Formats: sequence, structure tokens, C-alpha cells
Amino acid sequence: MKQYITTAPDRLKVRGVRWKSWRPPRHRLPEWAEVIAMLCALSSIAVLSLIVLFVLWEALPAFLGWTGVSFTLENRWSVEHSKYGLCVLLVSSMMASVGALSMAIPVGVAAAIFIAEVIPRGLREAIKPLIELLGAIPSVLYGFIGLKTVVPMIQRLFGIYYGQTALAASIVLAVMVVPTIVSLSSEIISAVPVEYREASLALGATRWQTIRHVVLPVAMPGITASVILAFGRAIGETVAVVMVAGTSTELTKPFWDFLQPIYPMTAAIAIGFGEAEVGGAAYHAYFAIGAILLAFAFTINLIASLLLRKAPVKVRL
Amino acid sequence: MMEKTTMILCGFSAFLLLVVFGYICYLLSSGLEALRPEFLFTSILDGGILEPVVGTFYLFAGATAIVAPVGTLAAIYMVEYAPRGRLTKLVDTAINNIAGIPSIIFGIFGFTFFCKLLGLGICLLSGWLTMACMMLPIMIRSAEEALKMIPVHIREASLALGATRWQTIRHVVLPAAMPGILTGVVLSIGRIAGETAAILFTACFYTMRGLPRTPLDPVLTLTYYLYVLILYMPGRLEPRQVFGLALVLFLLTVALNSAAFVIRAYYRRRWHRWT
Repeated sequence: MKQYITTAPDRLKVRGVRWKSWRPPRHRLPEWAEVIAMLCALSSIAVLSLIVLFVLWEALPAFLGWTGVSFTLENRWSVEHSKYGLCVLLVSSMMASVGALSMAIPVGVAAAIFIAEVIPRGLREAIKPLIELLGAIPSVLYGFIGLKTVVPMIQRLFGIYYGQTALAASIVLAVMVVPTIVSLSSEIISAVPVEYREASLALGATRWQTIRHVVLPVAMPGITASVILAFGRAIGETVAVVMVAGTSTELTKPFWDFLQPIYPMTAAIAIGFGEAEVGGAAYHAYFAIGAILLAFAFTINLIASLLLRKAPVKVRL
Repeated sequence: MMEKTTMILCGFSAFLLLVVFGYICYLLSSGLEALRPEFLFTSILDGGILEPVVGTFYLFAGATAIVAPVGTLAAIYMVEYAPRGRLTKLVDTAINNIAGIPSIIFGIFGFTFFCKLLGLGICLLSGWLTMACMMLPIMIRSAEEALKMIPVHIREASLALGATRWQTIRHVVLPAAMPGILTGVVLSIGRIAGETAAILFTACFYTMRGLPRTPLDPVLTLTYYLYVLILYMPGRLEPRQVFGLALVLFLLTVALNSAAFVIRAYYRRRWHRWT
């Protein structure tokens, strides 16, 4: 029996197939397919490590002071005058993001509760995509719309000449990050097991008491994660902020005054990076800001994914 | 009483978001009168937006051509070959982190790596590669989801007939998952359709005239043109026309996102019967 079974290389030898007409044997394709697919999967790791390596590598000279000018904490960022005060950028970014969140959290969480708990299922399927569409609008459009509506409104309301302020940036950013909060939070709230609600209602609790004391505590880690992700989105947002935040190289008023132009980190890169000479001090300084942004992004991702582990449903970032 | 007020407040905030969306639509609808065929098909030198429209299309087409095969194969590896493998977990973490990186970082990374280190210069090709990096997480994620939605018993049936693993993937799983993968493609285009910061330093010059002839020429896109019109050249187009440009951009994003949504809803219902 055994002599009839020949392996593929034997057959090739017997028939004397010449090299020219040799084609890769069909039965080898599966192995190659797996290897190629694995390489493609590895490409994502390669992209991530390249980004981290490059940004850190180019940022290193600025952090170590090899470029001749070091970062300071003074309140002035002006490349022409070789003033690299990180303070103004960091404080500006924080002002815009925290301002945005202080508006987006109440509205977003309330809307999420309403969408997940009150609205009937059919209507929910119609409203959620609309709110998600709000998050898909390009940021350059938000900047444009903000310039046309929010900025003049602030000028009129507060009687100031220059409407591109921290307040304008906060309002525009709030609209941009609200969909993140609403869609993730409502998904998590509606994933709270129905038995919990039934148990609470059976004990005589009202609907609101059930939501307040049973559903929300269970959903809280997920809601917090959505807020943190929204913060990440706000701090990394670039183009809209460039248009409405006003680009002031120093903060003239204390940080709690939102009626002043600010200069967030992302805006500094977007405006200055194009003109920076490659390898110059400014170039490395912009990469240093990039490294700070990258650190923010990874920290936020880590915290959010840790929090989402406690969520009642498996959600991916 | 207290409860009712809270509920009304919650409803009001959901309503507020819809109002904001409606207001944006209303505001942009004032560009409707500028939206004529001759506006879309005249060169920017004569007050039209032909170059940005075509440039946007070029940019998407190239980036999609790069990312769609890579993303699909990566998803096939993660779902079909090594589910729960150590590499799969690592790739998952990497994707999560790439998705969280601000787009401006992709911009400066693309500039140093593709334009300077690889010597491509500021051109369409650098833009494609940068965009492909940005699209990778969404593409892998949606292809993965599409593959996971195919019931296991279909794979088992194919394997039981004596098909190899690759034959099963190639002739059974992939054709069935194709609509889902296409949704992923549309979705990832939709997600980056409004991207400006990433191409700011990699693909565009605002002194650029005419269409790119080779992938090594710079390009103009709708987002970038709007950005430049607002920040650097206000008054180049009439306000009405700027609104027209914004409306084109808005309709493009809305169309892409709703297309992805509709395909996905249809597709979910189709496989729902089987599981």
C-alpha cells in the first residue's frame, strides 16, 4: 500500500519538470497566506512603534536642551523671540478642554440617560445615529461654523472686540465631544442587566430611584471612561481650535478668565510647524509638544480601557 | 415632582443636541444657492472648486487602496488564524492606541518620516501613507467585526467537506463577509473625510495650482482648501461660495457615514437569522 503514496517533490522529480515551468505548488499557498496575513497584522504594531520612536527621538533634543534654548515655564511662546514657555500652551489646552467638558458632561450624560432609559427602542435607533453624525462632522467645518456663529455671539454678548476666546473654543469643543459621551454612555446604560432594574422596581422603588441608585452606579465606570475619552478628543482637536481659540502668544489674564484668546498645544503645532526649519530649535520644540500630546493620549487610553473592563458589556474603544 | 423635572431636563438635553444638529444643517443650507454644476467643475483660479473635489477623491482612493487589503488581511489573521493569540492581543492594544493618537501627531510624524526621511517630499503619496496609518485601526476593527459575524457552523461545514483552512477563508468566509468589509472601507473613509491636520504638512501646498499629475505632486483637498480660505486667504471666494464649499464637505461626510450605517444595518439583519 505504502509505495503508491508519493509526495509532491517526488512526482516533480519523476516527471522531470524543468525549472521554467515550475509554479508554486498550490498546497503551499495556505502557509504563505498565513504569513502574509501575520505581516499585515504586524503592520499596526510597526506603525505605532514608528510614531512613538520618531516623535520621542525628535523631541529629545528639546527636552535635554541640546538645541540651545530650553523650555521654561514662563508665560510666553514666541518662536521669533526664542521664547519657549510651555506654561501658556499647557494652561491653554487645559482651559479649552476643561471648559468644553464642563458643558459636555451634564448635557451628554443627561441625554444618554434619556436615550437609554426613556425613549422606546425604535426611536432610539433613529436618534443615536443622528447624534453620532454630529461627531462625524469634519473639524474644519466646526471651526468654520464656530467662526460664523459662536464668535460673533460672544462679541455681542460680552461687548468685547475680539471674539476668538477660550470660551468660544470651549463651546465648539463641547459640541464636538458630546457625541462621544452620549454614544458610549447610552450603550453602557442600556447594557445594565434588566434583572437589576426588575429587582429594584419589585422593591417598590420608582423609576427614577432605580436609575439613580441601581443603574447609574453600575454604569458609572463606563460613563467615566466615556468622559475621559471625550477629554482626549478635546485635547487633541486641532483645526477647529486654531480657528476659534485666537492665537495669543501669552496669557494676559489669569486662567479662570475665559474671555481671553488662548494658544493650545495643537494650535501651536498647526500654525508654527510648517514654517519651522527642519532640525532647528523650533522644529524640535514642536515635536516636544507632540510628545506631551502623545503621553496624554496613551494615558487616557490606558485609564479608559481599565475602566471599561468593569463595564456590564464588552465595549471596545 | 422632582423626578419629573429631572426627566424633562434629560429629555431637554437630548433635544438640545438634535437642535444643534438641525441648526448646523440650516446654517449650511445657505450654501445651497452657490451649489451649481459650474461651481463644482471650474478651476479654483476662476472661483470654482474643481481641484479640491478631485484632489479629495484622489487622496481617498489611494489611501483606501493601501489600507483595505492590509486591514482585511490583518483582520483575517486575528480572527481566523490566531484568535486569542499573544500577537493578536498585542495588535489589539496597538490598534487601540493608534486610534487615540491626535491627528496632528500623524501630520508631524508623516512629515518627518515619509516626506523627509524617505525623501518623498510633500506630495500625494505621503498623504496616502499618512492617511493609511490613520485609517488602519478603523479598517481592522470593522473587518474583524464583519468576520466575527459569520457563524462558526458555516466554517465547520466547509472544513467538514475537506476544504483546507485557506480554501474555507477564500471561498466561504470572505465572500460572506464582503459587505461587512466594504462597510468598514466606507466607514474608514468617512472617519477621515474631514481630516485636515494630518495632511496639513504631508500632502498640501496652498500655492498649489492645477491637478496633481503624478503621485509625487502635491494636492488640494476640500478640507484643506476651506482651512486656507478661512485662515490665510479670506475674501478669495464670496461668503456664499464659502458656504457652498462647506456644504459640499458636509454632504460628503453625511453621505459616507449614512451609507456605512445603512449597509451595516442591512447586513446585521441578514446574518441575524443564522445565529
